[in-house]
Amino acid sequence: MSAVLQKADKAEKGALKGAIRIEDVVKIYDPEGAAVMAVDHCSLDIPAGEICMIVGPSGCGKTTLLNAIAGFHSISSGKIFLDNELLCGPEKPMAQPGSDRIVVFQNGALFPWKSNLDNVAFGPLMQGKLGKKEIYDKARSMMADAGLSGTEHNFPGEVSSGLRRRVEIVRALMNEPKVLLFDEPYRALDSLTKSVMHEALLEIYYKNKVTIFFITHDLEEAIFLGHRLVIMSSRPCKPKKIIDVDIPHPRDYSVLTSTRYRQLMDETIELVHEEAKKAFSAGEKEG
Amino acid sequence: MDQNQTVALLKRSMPFQTVPGEMLDAIAKLARYESYARGDVIYHQGDFADDVYIVSSGTVQHTLGIGFQATHPEKILHSGDVFGWAAVLDNQRSRLAKTVCMERTELIRINGEELINLFRASPETGDIVMSRFATMINKEYTLPEEVAGHVPHFTQVPVTMATGLTLTMFRLSQWLKSPKPYLMFTGFGILLATWYFTVEVWKLPRFADMPGLTVVMKEWFSKDPVYGLSIYTPEYYQHIWVSVRRILIAFFLATVLGVPLGLFLGWSKTFREYVFPVFETLRPIPILAWVPLAILMFQGSETPVIFLTFLASFYATALNTMLGVETIDESYSRAAACLGASKWQTFKEVIVPGAMPFMFTGLQISIGVAWFSLVAGEMVSGEFGLGYVINTSYTMVRYPTIVIGMITLGIVGYTSSALVRMAGDYMMQWRVRELALGGR
Ligand SMILES: Nc1ncnc2c1ncn2[C@@H]1O[C@H](COP(=O)(O)OP(=O)(O)OP(=O)(O)O)[C@@H](O)[C@H]1O
Ligand SMILES: [Mg+2]
Repeated sequence: MSAVLQKADKAEKGALKGAIRIEDVVKIYDPEGAAVMAVDHCSLDIPAGEICMIVGPSGCGKTTLLNAIAGFHSISSGKIFLDNELLCGPEKPMAQPGSDRIVVFQNGALFPWKSNLDNVAFGPLMQGKLGKKEIYDKARSMMADAGLSGTEHNFPGEVSSGLRRRVEIVRALMNEPKVLLFDEPYRALDSLTKSVMHEALLEIYYKNKVTIFFITHDLEEAIFLGHRLVIMSSRPCKPKKIIDVDIPHPRDYSVLTSTRYRQLMDETIELVHEEAKKAFSAGEKEG
Repeated sequence: MDQNQTVALLKRSMPFQTVPGEMLDAIAKLARYESYARGDVIYHQGDFADDVYIVSSGTVQHTLGIGFQATHPEKILHSGDVFGWAAVLDNQRSRLAKTVCMERTELIRINGEELINLFRASPETGDIVMSRFATMINKEYTLPEEVAGHVPHFTQVPVTMATGLTLTMFRLSQWLKSPKPYLMFTGFGILLATWYFTVEVWKLPRFADMPGLTVVMKEWFSKDPVYGLSIYTPEYYQHIWVSVRRILIAFFLATVLGVPLGLFLGWSKTFREYVFPVFETLRPIPILAWVPLAILMFQGSETPVIFLTFLASFYATALNTMLGVETIDESYSRAAACLGASKWQTFKEVIVPGAMPFMFTGLQISIGVAWFSLVAGEMVSGEFGLGYVINTSYTMVRYPTIVIGMITLGIVGYTSSALVRMAGDYMMQWRVRELALGGR
């Protein structure tokens, strides 16, 4: 854990929620047939309120791990806890999806048939916790906070992809989740929009301290956003090295020119390149 | 900065986000690029407001002068933010704020008057952009609505969201402006001319017995038709009404039964395993093969025809709806589950609207095959109806009436599928607007 976060932890002891503990998780797809081992005895501890960046070669099993936490599919063995409560384990191989862990998808999953405002209001409306008026008032003010005023009545298909991502994050935050799970959400964006999105995400994060589990291929993004970088081995997926990004938060884009950033970048590039080569030659053998 | 980069920047800025491509290009042409060093003042309060600015990179501090009841007089602007909007206000052409660059900053500036002239040429877009300016001034600069009220309007009537009727009217006017209607009339012209010349002028061997254009038209519009059927005879409308009523009943039943069946087939794997094999063995049987059984099964002449019409429609609707459910991206249902939707809520909020585009494709096909099997059914059994007219006119040697029946079928059939398409557009505004943005 980074020194910065430890300090933050002490300051707000108990205030933060959303610690994830992954214990010895194994996931084998199609155990009777092809038996593809996607995750191999993976253990990882993510303290509450941390931005944990997951980096690894393509096809190594990152999405599989995320889906297990979200409750989209079962695990073969091991346990996953959220704030010391069991999400899934031997007796209960599949976690129940819920609004405490919300996924922001690779290609975005705003409902194209609902206006941005209706999308944002969707979670609380479904859960029926608040009155309709309260929900919409909250949705409007959260959208305004995120700089989305004026797009409430547009459909997602009518606004730029950058804005769409922001709406999706606001939709998640409406539910006051403990954990946000990102699966390469900015992959399809151009680098300009991406940099805007990064700062926007950090801004949102500083306001709502949630735990962030963030899968990416982009090392610049990983170091810029993360408290820690978890570098995964090629398939089966397993943490190979964990790097503390000891650049203090709050960060802005000037971080990218600092020497510490450069050093970390060089360090990670080397590690990742090694794994990518392994994954590539493994793929050649399989093919 | 080249044209593309400028367009990209415009697209990211709040007021210009929804502007269509061509217009963006035109706006980008007005833009001039400028760069400033740290500490440079772009303008002072009270300066003449000529240009609107958009930040490309860097940061700008924007401080409103005293006396403008803003709740947050100071604002920091980043890439994509717009300022200097006094240049587009109606009677407020002096700067309300002071702006200073806080680091090296790149900007584009657009002359307010030129921008407004551009919007005069396409008032619909202009009003959208200006209403977004107003929102921005109001929300982001926290200025009261009176200030935002000074942004100009271009269209006469206040623009509302494009909904059903306005959208149809807009499309109609667009269509009339495009070359499409003239091409269409030329197409019809060629068809009619071919008919006229081959049959009546040149009297080509195979065409000589066919009823000619003038004969058919005379008969169709005659107050006293030779063979008893024209637009002046009540029988004509009775035949149309009988066919339309059969279609309505059959199409209604096919939709009411086919849509839910398709939805459940796509949604529930177990249900599908029970029902789909039966469905798939019955489906390839041609409608005409059902005729004898239909006559045996149902009493009278009306129900067998409706049954045959229903059958083909039903398959098309159910099958396409099922396909619609299958093609829904899994991440939508997963997102719904994350957001706490129950299974039933997911069905209602995700599966049904998600399947809608395919469902309406199914309904379009369904209405088409309904007419097809209706005519087949009416020719074999039944009294009245356009298929019946065509068949009896043949046996009774009333050739012009055959063609009248055919043309009428074409017109009524086309109208019915246009109605289905309009219903689809009405129910899928999101799709219409998405496609409109894609320039289709
Ligand atoms: N449903 C499935 N059945 C069988 N194998 C699967 C299934 N889903 C994924 N796999 C395999 O498991 C491995 C890990 O997949 P996963 O999607 O988790 O990788 P990833 O790290 O997210 O990759 P990427 O970076 O490309 O998104 C891959 O080799 C993939 O082919
Ligand atoms: Mg993945």
